[in-house]
Amino acid sequence: MFTTGFKFFFGIGMALATGAVFYGYTTGGNHMGPLSMGWKGGIGEHLGYSLLLGLGVAAMTVALFLVFFRDADPAAQAHYMGVEQIPTNDLVTASFWPVVGAFGVGAMAIGLVLHTAVFVTGLIICGVVAIEWLMDAWADRATGDPEANRALRNRVMAPIEIPALGAAIAALGVLATSRILLATSKLGSVVVAGVVSVLILGIAVLFARKTQINKNILAGSVLLLAVAVLVGGVVATVTGERDFHPHEVHEDEYEGTGSEGGH
Amino acid sequence: MTMTDSPPAADTALAATSPRVVGLFDALTTTDHKRIGRLWLRAGLLGLLAATLVGVVLTIENSNSSPDDVFGGVNNYFQYLSLHRFGLVLLVAAPLFVGLATVVVPMQVGATNIAFPRAAHGAVWLFMIGAVITVVSVLSGGGWGALDGVNGTERDAIALTLVGTGLVIVSLLAASVCVATTVVSLRTSGMNLMRVPLFAWSMLVATGVWLLTLPVALSNLVLVYFDLRGGPGTFGDAQGSDAIYSQIAWLVEQPQIYAFAIPVLGVLGTIAPVVAKRRHAQHVIAVALIGLFGLLSVGGWSQPWFQGSNYDEKFVFIVFGLFAAVPVLGSIGAAADTIVGRASAGDPDSDASAGGESGLAGLSSVHGLGAIGAALLLLAGTVAGLARVIQPWDLGDRTTVTSVMNLVLFSAVAAAIAGIWFWAPKIAGHELAVSTGRLVMLDIVAGAVLLGGADFVSGFLEAPAFGYRVVGSSASLMAEPSNQSLIEVLNVVGAIGAVLIALGVLGVFAAMAKAMRSSEVVDDNPYGGQTLEWTTSSPPPPGNFSEPPGRVVSEAPLLDTVNENGEEA
Repeated sequence: MFTTGFKFFFGIGMALATGAVFYGYTTGGNHMGPLSMGWKGGIGEHLGYSLLLGLGVAAMTVALFLVFFRDADPAAQAHYMGVEQIPTNDLVTASFWPVVGAFGVGAMAIGLVLHTAVFVTGLIICGVVAIEWLMDAWADRATGDPEANRALRNRVMAPIEIPALGAAIAALGVLATSRILLATSKLGSVVVAGVVSVLILGIAVLFARKTQINKNILAGSVLLLAVAVLVGGVVATVTGERDFHPHEVHEDEYEGTGSEGGH
Repeated sequence: MTMTDSPPAADTALAATSPRVVGLFDALTTTDHKRIGRLWLRAGLLGLLAATLVGVVLTIENSNSSPDDVFGGVNNYFQYLSLHRFGLVLLVAAPLFVGLATVVVPMQVGATNIAFPRAAHGAVWLFMIGAVITVVSVLSGGGWGALDGVNGTERDAIALTLVGTGLVIVSLLAASVCVATTVVSLRTSGMNLMRVPLFAWSMLVATGVWLLTLPVALSNLVLVYFDLRGGPGTFGDAQGSDAIYSQIAWLVEQPQIYAFAIPVLGVLGTIAPVVAKRRHAQHVIAVALIGLFGLLSVGGWSQPWFQGSNYDEKFVFIVFGLFAAVPVLGSIGAAADTIVGRASAGDPDSDASAGGESGLAGLSSVHGLGAIGAALLLLAGTVAGLARVIQPWDLGDRTTVTSVMNLVLFSAVAAAIAGIWFWAPKIAGHELAVSTGRLVMLDIVAGAVLLGGADFVSGFLEAPAFGYRVVGSSASLMAEPSNQSLIEVLNVVGAIGAVLIALGVLGVFAAMAKAMRSSEVVDDNPYGGQTLEWTTSSPPPPGNFSEPPGRVVSEAPLLDTVNENGEEA
């Protein structure tokens, strides 16, 4: 009836609770205080009493959970589930969302200190990861066939993921590149724009010509490019924009507009 | 869209249907616990290398008379000292044990993977991000406070240190949930809690204590962060104060420091029977003692925020300090009983008794040396902790505190390295060099004894806990002690200990590099292990076992003879 885990933790819990009462009475507790947790009288020294009783209650709570779940004994679980053997968890497919999620949390943490925009970016990443993670977890348990699960997941998520990812990459690339262009000199910005264009073209050609690309090379390239663009963008943001010298405004440029201000 | 409601078949191996990709892509996407564990171990070993090198510089600096020699001032010294202390706990000891547990525990309990493998994978990357933010921010002028007050430019860097530390703690909590859940709910048939291998049990206790206490540290950090960013400035703006450090200093002091060494007893309890080639003589007692040690290592309540500056004079704190050595001593006694006590008793499961051996021969193995050395270091640490709570000696502000920390943490390091040597066939599929391993173990244990022993004696000579005598500096922590010359000699001894430890750590990397080049085939069970991880191949396949382990009827399944009905023959 009572499992080993229950007996172990309940024994610890009772010993601690008894110890708390004993400690309470020996350190100045009076009347029913130590027995009633201070309701009817003093409990003596607060720290020791609270610590012992708190740990005791925690141990007894664990004991109750253990007896309820039969020490999580696999045979008992299988019996209650009505199956011969409880399902194993070896069907969890590989996923890069945990890593993305970790970077999202990291971005939130850094953004908390440095800039609200970084925090919001991290928050958005975490939101996306939460949805993707849920979908992966659902798909993993959809059928007993990993290939079918993967196909099912992609059929639901790919129409959303691919456009969203494309838009996000384009937006991030444009934003980071624009910061770099604004921070570098005129000539430098031309060079940067040229290099970025050639890179985009080169990668596109690579993708078009090679139908099978080594996943490690792909992952490394994406990681490198993302870090380079982000670091460049952050450094450029911190550095600030270069000095711009606007054209002098000549009155004859605005003849006929009837306005003294610019456009 | 067609779906089935039936659960997947247990013998469906994912590896059979999808091609295995190794390398960076796998590191970024894996859900295999062995790969995740290796990431933790690499991170922990890198942290260990950095921490020991910083430790060498700190002890060398400590034996000089000027604060400007290496660090350029007492404030920088304080930053590196606090980085070294928190780093040893959060970036070295904890990740090393989490890594070992992530690889070994699922196999020990007969599971095909760790519980919540994606969360476990996310945790290791979050740990790395948090660790990088912490270290970089400290190097950029941050840290856990500033002795000369927090000025405008330091404020952001200190805030980043707090945030990075918080991320590290969150990642350790997530990993703890995965490890604890694996032990609680993924055990194989017949493995009740009393039959769980001692290392897995110790990790359950350790992660339980971490889950209880590390959120308190997280709360401390949040409190300090908000105070620093827009609050009254209670902690940050105090001129010449270590107020921020003091808020989480309980993490590196007793009793909490013991929580990071709980698995030392598990490693000892797992390796001792293997060394002795017989069952653990006192398995049930060992289980209870590990639980008791976990109970006595619950910290968080012993801090100035709750108890005031005299928290270490409270009765409960003293009781915890007095009794912490008892379960350690008991565990060592139980291991000794296993190794030497039963040779003449004719134990039917014993290989050694049949051959007339006492089991002592196995102590010369790397894992045997490491497990015993680590346990003795832990015993020394808890005894030093016992001395620290004896009020008439008044050692609370002395280097005795540092001594406890160093002895306990390097016992954890020694145990983790012994575990890496022991489980190397399962972690990476090869054995590590025995001769190098013995040197590594001797280096680390001897170094820790010198380092911790010197601090322990210095404490009685009134050497301050921060170990620094400020000459000509604007910031001063404590007055110069009277026995200065003797303390300086002891500081040199401590520096020698730190150098020995660093050499040992370099030896670990050398052994690993050598093993990676080796193409030698490793036996499935080269040391005569008694638990389920030794029933699978080296390295284990995806899913760990080619077929599900049979019903377990004792804590040492490989010594059991079980019939087809799962009953002991």
